[in-house]
Amino acid sequence: MNFFRRLLLTAALTALTASAATLPELFNERLKSVVAVEFFVQAETERQPVTVMGTVIDAQGTIILPPAAILPGIPPAQLKDFKVYRPGSTEPANAAYLGQDAFTGWHFLRVEEKRRAGLVPITHYTAISGELSLSEELWGIGLRNRDEDFMPYFLGARVATVMKLPQKTAILGSDVASPGLPVFNATGQFAGLAQSSFGQNFLLFSRNQHATPILLINVEESSVVLLADEVLPHLGRVPQSVTGRPIAWFGAYGLQPMDPEVAKLLQRENQSGVVLSDIMEGSPAAQAGLLERDIVLAIDGRPLPRLKPDRVVVGYFGQQVLRHQPGEALQLTILRGTTQQEVSVRLGDEPKLAREADRAYLDRLGLTVREFLYNDGLMHRAKPGELAGVMVQFVKPGSPVAAAGLRTDDWVREIDGEEIKTYAQALSKLRAIEADVKRSEFVLLVSRGGETAVLRIKLI
Amino acid sequence: MVYATLAALVLPLAAGAAGMSRGFNKLLEAVVRIDVREIEFENGAKRFTGGIGSGVIIAEDGLVLTNAHVVSPQAVEISVTLANLERVSATLVGWDHWTDLALLRLDTASLKARGLGFSAANFGDSSELFAGQTVYAVGTPHGLTRTVTRGIISNHNRYFEDTGGVNGHETGSFNTWLQTDAAINPGNSGGPLVTEDGKVIGINSRTYIGAENLGFAIPADVARRVAAALVKEGTITRSYIGLVPGVLQDLERFYALASNTGMLINRVDPGSPAAKAGLRAGDVLLTLNGKKVDGRFPEQLPPIQQTIASLPVGAKVALEVKRGTQVMPFTIQTEKLESRVGEEWAFEKWGLSVRKVTRAYARENQLLDASGLIVLGAQPGYPAAEAGLARGDIITKVGSEPITELVRLKKVYEAYEAQPGPQLVEAQRNRRISLYVIKP
Repeated sequence: MNFFRRLLLTAALTALTASAATLPELFNERLKSVVAVEFFVQAETERQPVTVMGTVIDAQGTIILPPAAILPGIPPAQLKDFKVYRPGSTEPANAAYLGQDAFTGWHFLRVEEKRRAGLVPITHYTAISGELSLSEELWGIGLRNRDEDFMPYFLGARVATVMKLPQKTAILGSDVASPGLPVFNATGQFAGLAQSSFGQNFLLFSRNQHATPILLINVEESSVVLLADEVLPHLGRVPQSVTGRPIAWFGAYGLQPMDPEVAKLLQRENQSGVVLSDIMEGSPAAQAGLLERDIVLAIDGRPLPRLKPDRVVVGYFGQQVLRHQPGEALQLTILRGTTQQEVSVRLGDEPKLAREADRAYLDRLGLTVREFLYNDGLMHRAKPGELAGVMVQFVKPGSPVAAAGLRTDDWVREIDGEEIKTYAQALSKLRAIEADVKRSEFVLLVSRGGETAVLRIKLI
Repeated sequence: MVYATLAALVLPLAAGAAGMSRGFNKLLEAVVRIDVREIEFENGAKRFTGGIGSGVIIAEDGLVLTNAHVVSPQAVEISVTLANLERVSATLVGWDHWTDLALLRLDTASLKARGLGFSAANFGDSSELFAGQTVYAVGTPHGLTRTVTRGIISNHNRYFEDTGGVNGHETGSFNTWLQTDAAINPGNSGGPLVTEDGKVIGINSRTYIGAENLGFAIPADVARRVAAALVKEGTITRSYIGLVPGVLQDLERFYALASNTGMLINRVDPGSPAAKAGLRAGDVLLTLNGKKVDGRFPEQLPPIQQTIASLPVGAKVALEVKRGTQVMPFTIQTEKLESRVGEEWAFEKWGLSVRKVTRAYARENQLLDASGLIVLGAQPGYPAAEAGLARGDIITKVGSEPITELVRLKKVYEAYEAQPGPQLVEAQRNRRISLYVIKP
């Protein structure tokens, strides 16, 4: 029903705009910049197919996918079989995964060379210059799923407001494109990229219950558009490696916005700020002498902007860090107590991420172990010097370790009474246990939420 | 002689019908209904709630034994209904959530003035119970005063611990429980479990919701000991070293131990005396002050815990611990056992209710220290909620005053009441520090 209503909307809009190129003509031309992408995530015992939409950004067949297309923490090695489809087609082209850019969050793909003909990068079209005006009519492309041959359809809506979140983002009155696909104005100028849509509050009525508030998120279409001048300057950020490195690292985790009321009380009315806490030992922030409760007021001499909602300024701060390269200095103006001072932070290299960690699956025992990372230490409140043991990344249902009560995210400290210092040591012990078919049991010492337990795992 | 023998044979049989036993009738006279009004500090406000439970009079001077989850120190009004249906008020002598027991004292002056009497029940020996023995539960299930139900002892040595079993307080670490199939329902709590001759062998305290006929009672031997201590001191002081025991069963071979030797240390509370002494999870405790320890089965753990708890606070305790192939000696100084539930309070003009962070809470949540107040609730529309404070935040500072203890915030609040003005509040959540402003 919904879909047919949209078809009607298409008809209505077409009638309204009869300029040089008609909207259907523009629509058909712009389809050359959009693709549907299929791949699957190959986990230990399962594979999960994923369909997402992407936009072509250059003549080398590079495609960007929205940040949410791939869950964080999934190692690139588990991403398999990328296939790219043109709208309305079932003929796949192969593509290679290039990695995720830390600053924009985009995932980059490259289509195999022989299938690049006919793809037109979004940069081919002029972009809207200047500000978007309120109530301006924009349109975009939606793609159906594979069972409908990724059939393209037209969506249109008016600009309701433009916000800084912290990037300039237009919110439209209704859905305007599939997330990840471009949006244009009436003359076909590039207006921006549709993002994941925001949740909307509804009340659910049923026969037995009174109204229950629910949050609905449309995963197929979105009314949120990242504006062209927040997209175009960053299209060159194709990852140099599949890990997305280099990634700059600041090293404070508990960042909170300075509440406007707090600013007033501190006689910093109309100023914006970020309160620092949870500064990790040995991190660039700690080395620069930053302390918990310091309030960052400005970066490189530029005051932090006042953004709404308040927490957006935390995102802004994070982006300012990621704009830099490891090794570069960040000049911060901070408020410590009542005194304002300048602190220079030399950014480091982001510690190894979960998706980059070494891991191994042991099928007979029924678990995947992963090396213990700096961020795991953060989660478990371990000091950097105490980074030992291995993490349980996966537990196979019904396996010996599952029967013994091992769970995902358990932290293995000892195997058979031997303290685990390195990932290699853990893996060699576990591999030996797995290979020994006469072995009837083994014992793990694991930590979980600050508690430790001895688990006895029966093998026979 | 022949008659006497006959009589001796016949009498116990006749006593088997509970209704006919003099002891049982006397017991019925000692069972009371307890109506409680207590303060609750949820949701940012001070609210009164009510509850109904049972109890049993255990001494001629008007001492009533009940459950800690029936009457807690937050009770403001305790009304006891005697067997003759007359009501009298009572005061709390003391409570002990670890064993889920509380002791009340009837207002005997009022009873005397009104010419009312009561009788006291006698304790039986709970260590001599056997599975299959007939028992009766007497109490006030769902407010139905003076209800007697019958069943048997299903198990006389049941182990379970519950970290939040008594209104959020820990229970069950230091005793095992009697299990019975006598019907026990909400409201039976605090009432006695008795033998056919009316001897109190347990205090009924809990049941599995959704299960049938799985009721649990605190053994009389524990109740008697706790009641005696509460009369004397009003509270029970226990020692703590920070070992959380585990069961050794099936692991003896791995630890190369003889059967029935040692207790597995499953966890060492971070920052506890045991942790400071260097004990680690996975160690096996062999001896405690020279005495051998046997924690092979779960049922054996509470007595070991009780042994540690009954050491004097601040005493040095010598442990022998097996780690790998080594046997290592440790000396640990005990500290006072604390609940993780601290004192609670509500600052009503702010719409804020709080609970003191305790050492146990801080350890459990890996906080740096035990200072600060946990927000229990912030009433929507009131200054604390408007400022952005929410349940789970830990208030550490207001203005320039570090809030280490509850009294500190009370002092700030008093000053605020005298002269309301904006208050800068520092709070943590998952170690993230945020600043808020409470405005009048």
